[in-house]
Amino acid sequence: MTADGAHDPLVLVIEDEPQMLRFLRPALQGNGYRVHEATTGEDGIRQASMRAPDVVLLDLGLPDIDGLDVTRRLREWSRVPIVVISARGREDDKVAALDAGADDYVTKPFGVRELLARLRVALRHAARAGGAAAPQLTLGPLELDLERRRVTVDGAAVHLTPNEYKLLAELAKHAGKVLTHSHLLREVWGPGYTRQSHYLRVYVTQLRHKLEVDPARPRLILTEPGVGYRLAEE
Amino acid sequence: MPDRPDPDEPAPRTTLATAAASAAVGTGRVTPRWRDYARAVLVVAACTGLAALMHGRFERSNLVMVYLLGVMWAAVSCGRGPAVLASILSVATFDFFFVPPNLTFVVSDPQYLVTFVVMLVAAVLIGTLAARLQAQVRAARIDERRSRALVRLSGELVALQDLDGILDAALRHLEDVFESRAAVLLPDDAGRLAIAAGDPLLLGAGAHERGVAQWAFDAGQPAGLGTATLPDSRALYLPLRGSATELGVLAIVPRDVRRLTAPETFRLLQAFANHAALALERSKLAVDAERARLQGEAERMRSALLSSVSHDLRTPLAVITGVTSTLLEQDDDAPATERRELLRTAAEEAARLNRLVANLLSMTRLDSGTLEVKRSWHSLEDLVGAALRRVDPVAAGREVRIELPADLPLVPVDDVLIEQVLFNLVENALKHAASDDPITIRARARTSDVEVAVEDRGPGLPRGGGEPLFEKFHRGDASHRTGGVGLGLAICRGIVEAHGGTIHADDRVGGGARFAFTLPLGAGAPAIEAETNALQPGRAGDA
Repeated sequence: MTADGAHDPLVLVIEDEPQMLRFLRPALQGNGYRVHEATTGEDGIRQASMRAPDVVLLDLGLPDIDGLDVTRRLREWSRVPIVVISARGREDDKVAALDAGADDYVTKPFGVRELLARLRVALRHAARAGGAAAPQLTLGPLELDLERRRVTVDGAAVHLTPNEYKLLAELAKHAGKVLTHSHLLREVWGPGYTRQSHYLRVYVTQLRHKLEVDPARPRLILTEPGVGYRLAEE
Repeated sequence: MPDRPDPDEPAPRTTLATAAASAAVGTGRVTPRWRDYARAVLVVAACTGLAALMHGRFERSNLVMVYLLGVMWAAVSCGRGPAVLASILSVATFDFFFVPPNLTFVVSDPQYLVTFVVMLVAAVLIGTLAARLQAQVRAARIDERRSRALVRLSGELVALQDLDGILDAALRHLEDVFESRAAVLLPDDAGRLAIAAGDPLLLGAGAHERGVAQWAFDAGQPAGLGTATLPDSRALYLPLRGSATELGVLAIVPRDVRRLTAPETFRLLQAFANHAALALERSKLAVDAERARLQGEAERMRSALLSSVSHDLRTPLAVITGVTSTLLEQDDDAPATERRELLRTAAEEAARLNRLVANLLSMTRLDSGTLEVKRSWHSLEDLVGAALRRVDPVAAGREVRIELPADLPLVPVDDVLIEQVLFNLVENALKHAASDDPITIRARARTSDVEVAVEDRGPGLPRGGGEPLFEKFHRGDASHRTGGVGLGLAICRGIVEAHGGTIHADDRVGGGARFAFTLPLGAGAPAIEAETNALQPGRAGDA
């Protein structure tokens, strides 16, 4: 199944379209993953418990059970990172999957580079889940020191309000991963604010104007329309 | 004949005088009886006065005429009861004052007894006749009023097209004219009746009334109150008869049962029902015709879509097929640069195919009305940034300038949809402008909306102006094919209009085209709680 040995991360691909599998299998194997396949949701859940994969790639449109249910049922007993495959125009599905415990998503059609980036981020966060978040983060001109609460751009200290800092820190703790609007609102402002999207808009704009070179073409805090925000990967 | 006034009762003149204004039939018998009787007494007193003046100069029989005149007047203006009172009083006063011996009720000459009897009989007869005449006048006026109401109803119904308006008007007139509460029951697809207009609780919760209504509908016969079928119902049910089938049932719950069941009232009700049925049928036919028209249009659209789509999908597919087959058949020692170039072309065409399909999907959603606008507050800067992130791979390094004022307010929009609008507009500008001309995205806040514009320095708008560009499957002129389905701008319009905004295209000053759309601001975003402006270590809680 693999040429590179048993230490490569194992991806469980739960996908019913044979053509997609024909593309995914060589694409993943060629990039250092071991691949195991399941073509139904039920089988996927079974395989997940038997094979203990390092990451699950799950198509939301499965023939037997809703991919959302697969996510929920996996989350009942497993912390394995889940990346879902969805279509454009189905942003609600993506948000629902993320809320149900999925880690990230790719939108069909996607390139292999994007897919690998999502898997890499998901694996990295899973590896870190036990320990503390990386105390330091460097993203282009931005340097963030979570321990010392220091934010610098091109070496110059940036002054952030407490909520701006909380928002940036939350994004940084999940760098590379998409975070939904309601997640960010809850984490930064509190559970009562999950529908107050205007807070998020105002603060993201403020942050971008303090951190980005060109706030209208953000390179650090990226917008995922209909879903949320993502801090760019290192 | 319950409509006719009881002849014993004084005629309700006040009601008649205001009949045109007053809605209800036979309401407001406000003239108190005692007033009529008092007037009868006064008339007799006046006659006595007049007779006293005439006494001695005229024959006594002429004095009798004076009294008869008085009685007649009382009969005409006060009704039969006061007339009888007047005649009795007349006989008594005539006897008392003018029949010898005067100032007694004693009658010396027995022939006066004949006078008394004739006087009394004449008075009663005249009174009765006069009262009947009154009643007939009144009935005629009621009939006239009802036919006027019928004319008014049909006049109003003719002007109405929509079902609810028709039902409303019919019920309003019915309730006015017949002093009833009414409802219209219309059948569902299975032929089961349900109240479509009027008080939904009119028939109560029980199954009985509905059963009667259903019977009237199924049999096409009036049923319920005042008919031979199930007369113990609360309401009268009249089928609304169309030219071919029953359209529904009219339910009438009268305030006064006796009034409603009179034959001429019943006939009039039927006439009302027929008018309503006619209007209903007309509106139904109009709806059917409109549906057929839309269906025809949808059919035409579908075939246009199919021919357009099959052509436009085929081009990228042909490229992809060509590229992949070339690569499959190529020797492994073909130059790597050539292979990469071929693959890049295939990837670009695949991306184009993806955008085409996405546009088709959006258009389908817009057309079928299943497009849901999920509004929340968004910053345009955010949406422009997201759109440009998708544009960049297509833009191939071309310059897109962004000019957004810093104080632009948040807009209440669906971010996915507006991002799509921005993407489509920029993509459209990229297609039509020369490769070294920058494209500018601009926005400005106005009093009640924000205007966003995408400007290019391309050839400008075609001769027909900007409006046709927003039509589906419009693709500019043939010499300038850009390989789209011609849906991008139509989708923009659909989305912008779903947000309550407008979109239009103009020639740009200095050359090029300018596509601008507006987004209403609504009440504006709610305020944000201020926070302490300092970053205090230890306060901002992170793990």
